[in-house]
Amino acid sequence: MLVVLVALISKWLVLVLLVALGLWPLTLLLALGVLALISTRRGGWPWMKDWLGTRLRGLVLPALAVVTALIIGALVIMFTDQMVYQALSEGRFGEAIALAFGSLARAYGALYEGSLGNPLKILQAIGLALSGEGLQPVLSAVRGPSDSLVQSVPYIFAGLAVALGFRAGLFNIGAEGQIGVGWLAAVVVGFAFPGLPTVIHLPLAIVAGAVAAGLWAAIAGVLKARTGAHEVITTIMLNYVVFRLSEWLLCGPLEFTQGTCRTQDIAESAYLPRFLGHPVTLHWGFVLALIVAALTGWFLFRTTWGFWLRTVGANPNAARYGGMSVGKAFTLAMFLSGCLAGLAGVVQGLGITRNIALGFQAGYGFDSIALALLGKSHPAGVLAASLLFGVLRAGAGRMQSVAGVPTEIVQIVQALVIIFVAAPEIIRVIYHLRKARAEGVEVTVFSRGWGA
Amino acid sequence: MTVQAQVVDTSTASAPNRRDALVIVLILLVGTALMVLGSLGTQAGARSAFTDQVLGTLFSLPSQATLYTIGAFCFLVAGLRLFRALDSIRSVLNWSLVFMAAFAFLVWITSGTSMNLPGMIQSTLMAATPLTLGAMAGIFCERSGIINIAIEGMMLSGAFAAVAFASLFDSLWMGLLAASLMGGMMAALHAVLSVKYKVDQIISGTVINMLAAGGTRFLNLRLLEPAGLSTPGSFDLIRIPLLADIPIVGPIFFENQPTVYLMFILLVLANFVIFATPWGLRMRASGEHPGAADTVGVHVNRMRYVSVIIGGLIAGIGGAYFSLGIVGTFEDGMTRGQGFVALAAMIFGNWNPIGAFLAALLFGFADALQVKMQILQPVLPIINQPIPHEFLQMAPYILTIIVVAGVVGRAIAPAAEGKPYEKQ
Repeated sequence: MLVVLVALISKWLVLVLLVALGLWPLTLLLALGVLALISTRRGGWPWMKDWLGTRLRGLVLPALAVVTALIIGALVIMFTDQMVYQALSEGRFGEAIALAFGSLARAYGALYEGSLGNPLKILQAIGLALSGEGLQPVLSAVRGPSDSLVQSVPYIFAGLAVALGFRAGLFNIGAEGQIGVGWLAAVVVGFAFPGLPTVIHLPLAIVAGAVAAGLWAAIAGVLKARTGAHEVITTIMLNYVVFRLSEWLLCGPLEFTQGTCRTQDIAESAYLPRFLGHPVTLHWGFVLALIVAALTGWFLFRTTWGFWLRTVGANPNAARYGGMSVGKAFTLAMFLSGCLAGLAGVVQGLGITRNIALGFQAGYGFDSIALALLGKSHPAGVLAASLLFGVLRAGAGRMQSVAGVPTEIVQIVQALVIIFVAAPEIIRVIYHLRKARAEGVEVTVFSRGWGA
Repeated sequence: MTVQAQVVDTSTASAPNRRDALVIVLILLVGTALMVLGSLGTQAGARSAFTDQVLGTLFSLPSQATLYTIGAFCFLVAGLRLFRALDSIRSVLNWSLVFMAAFAFLVWITSGTSMNLPGMIQSTLMAATPLTLGAMAGIFCERSGIINIAIEGMMLSGAFAAVAFASLFDSLWMGLLAASLMGGMMAALHAVLSVKYKVDQIISGTVINMLAAGGTRFLNLRLLEPAGLSTPGSFDLIRIPLLADIPIVGPIFFENQPTVYLMFILLVLANFVIFATPWGLRMRASGEHPGAADTVGVHVNRMRYVSVIIGGLIAGIGGAYFSLGIVGTFEDGMTRGQGFVALAAMIFGNWNPIGAFLAALLFGFADALQVKMQILQPVLPIINQPIPHEFLQMAPYILTIIVVAGVVGRAIAPAAEGKPYEKQ
C-alpha cells in the first residue's frame, strides 16, 4: 500500500521536475515571481536585491569560469571544422565564417537539446497529454532532462568523495578505481543472491558496494597514517591495480558468456527502480544522491567527527597539538571518501547497466576532481556542479551523433573549467574583476610533496 | 614548518627496526617462494634452455638447482641485513637481489622448454624505453620542485603530435621533433599554472592529463582521421654497422628504434647535467631549498620553468615511441597508463636517472614476461592454476606502493616539492 503510494507520488513529482528542468526559463521566471511576492511583504526591491546579491556573489567566478570554458570550446569546434578549412583554402572567407558559426550552432544546439530537451516539443507534448493522448509523448520529450540527471548521479557521489577528501586535507585521486570496486561488489551481490526480497537485497548490494570501495580506499588512508606514504601516489597506483584486477575478473572468473568480458545481469530484486517508463531512465539513485549529499553536509559541518576531519584538513599540526589523532582521521576520511566514490559505481551498476563489463571506466572519477573544486568542496556546491557536468555529458552524445562533434569536447571544457577555477587570477584578468575583499576562500595546499 | 619536521623525524627514528624486520621477512618470503617453486613447481632434472636465434642454445641450466641457488642467495642477503653486514654495498645487493629473483622467475617459467633470451632482453629494453623517458621527464620536473603527475598526458599528446606532424610533413623525424615540442608545450602549461598562478601542482597535472586525453581524441576524430593524416608508418630499426654484428649484444643494443638510442643518450646526458654541472646543482637546490638557492642568486622560478619544459620535451619523445615506434598510427589513450608506471619508476629509482632506468628495466621485464606467460601458461604449484598475466601487469603499481610506504628502501622526494616559491 505504502509502496504503491510512494511510487505514484514520486512518479508525478519526477515528471514535474523533469518538465520544469526542460522549461527552465519559465521555471526561473516563476521562481523570481515567487521571490518578488515574498519581497513585497519583506521590504520590496531593496530586500530582494540584497537577498539575491548575497547568494549570487560567490557564484560569479565559477559562472565566469564555465562561460569562458564554453566559449573556448566553441572556438575549438569552429576551428576544427573540415568544411571551414575547405572554404578557407578556396578563398571564400565569408562563407568560411558562416560555416564556422553554423557548425557551432549545430553543435551547441544539439548539446542543448540532448541535455535539456526541446522546450517547444515539451509544450506540445503537454498539450497532447492534456487532450487525453497519454503520457508517452511527454516522456519522450523530457528524455534530455532525465539523461542529464541520470548522468549527474554518479557525478554527485564521486564529487562528494573528492570534496570530503579535500576537507580532510587528502587528495583522493583514486575515485575512478573506487568506482570500479563499488560497481563490481554491488553487481556481484546483485546476482549472487537471487532469491532475496528487494527490501533486503537492494540495500545489501548498495552497502556492499560502498563498504568494499571504502575499504579499498582505506588502504591509502592507513598507509598515509602509518608510513606517511602520499595518498596521491598510492591512490593512482591502486587505480591501476583495480583496472588490471577487473580485467582479470571480468574476462576470467566472473565472465558469464565466453568472450563478452561481462558479468551476469543482477537479479531483479537488486534493481534500483526507475521512476517512469521508457525512455526516461531516471532512477532512485538520484534521490539517494540527494540524501547522501545532505548527510555528507550534516556530517562535515554538524558533527564532532566532521569537525575533527576538517580540523585535521585545515592544519594537521594544530590538530595533533590539540590532541586529535591525525592518522585515524586520515584513515576514516579515506574510508568515507571511498564509500562515496563506491556509491557512484553502485548506482551505475544497479540503476543503469545492471552488470559490469570491461571498459567500465567512464571518467567520472577524474572529472570529480573538477566537481569538488568547482563546488568549493561544499556538498551544495558539488551538487550544483554535478548537475552542470551531467548536463554537459548528457548533451555530448547527441552532439556527436547530430553535429559530428566528438564527445571529448566536453572533457576539454571540463579541463578548462578546472584551470579557471583553480587559477581565478586568469578570470579576473580577462574580465577586469577586482579582487574580492574577503571571499572566505579556503586555500588548502594538498601537495606537501611526496614526502614520507 | 619546524614542528612538522620534528614530528616526521621522531616517527622515522623509531621505525627502522620494525622496517628492517619487515624487509628481512619479505626477502625471506621471496627466498622461500623460490625454494617452493624449485621443489614443487619444476620437474626434477628439467632444464631451462636459453637460446639465441643465430647461435642456438646459449646455455641451459638445471631449473631446480638454479632456483635453489637463488633462493639461498635471498637467505644470504636476509642474513647480511639481519647482522648489518656489508651495509656499504647495500644498494648493489638490493638491486642484484631484485634482478636475481626476476631471473629465477624466468628460469622457472622456461623449465622444460627453451626461451630466446636476447629476444626477451630486447623486449624488456623496448618496454623500458618509454618508461625511462617518462621517468626522466618526471625527474627534471620534480628535482626542480614541481610535482609531475602529468607524464601520462605529456606522453599522450606527444604520441598524437608525432602522428599528426609526421604525416603532415611526410617525415617521421619531423614527427619526433613535433612530439617533443608538444610535450614541451604541455609542460609549459603545467609550469605556468603551477609557478605563475600557484595552482596546486596535482590539480594542474590532472588538468594536463584531462586535456591530453580529451584533446587528442577530439582532434584525432575531427581532424586527423577525416583528413587521412593518421597513418604515417613507424620507424625502421637502425642498425649501427659493425657493432650490430657482435653476437647476442649486437641485436639487443645496436639494432633498435631511434627512440631507444635517444633514450640512452638522454640518460647519460641527464645524469651528467643533473649531478655534474653547476646548472644541475642550482636546479636541485631549487627543489630542495629554494630559499637558500635564491639567496645565492639562483632564479628559482625561472629554473623551474626551464626544468619543467625540458622534462616535457623528453616526455614527448617517450610519447613518440608509442605511436611512431610501435604501431605507426594514433590510437585513443595509447599510452595505456604507462605514464603512471613511469612515475612509479621515477619514485622507485629515487629521483635518479640511472635508478629510474633500472626500475624501468624491472617494470619492462614484468611487461615482457607477461607477454611470454600468456604463451607458456606456467602452472603455479600448490594451487595448480596458471598465473593470470594481469597480476604481473600489476607488479609495478604494487611495488611502488610498497616503496612509497617505506617498507623496502626509502623514497626521498626533493624537500621543497609541491610548494610554490615566493620571493621574500
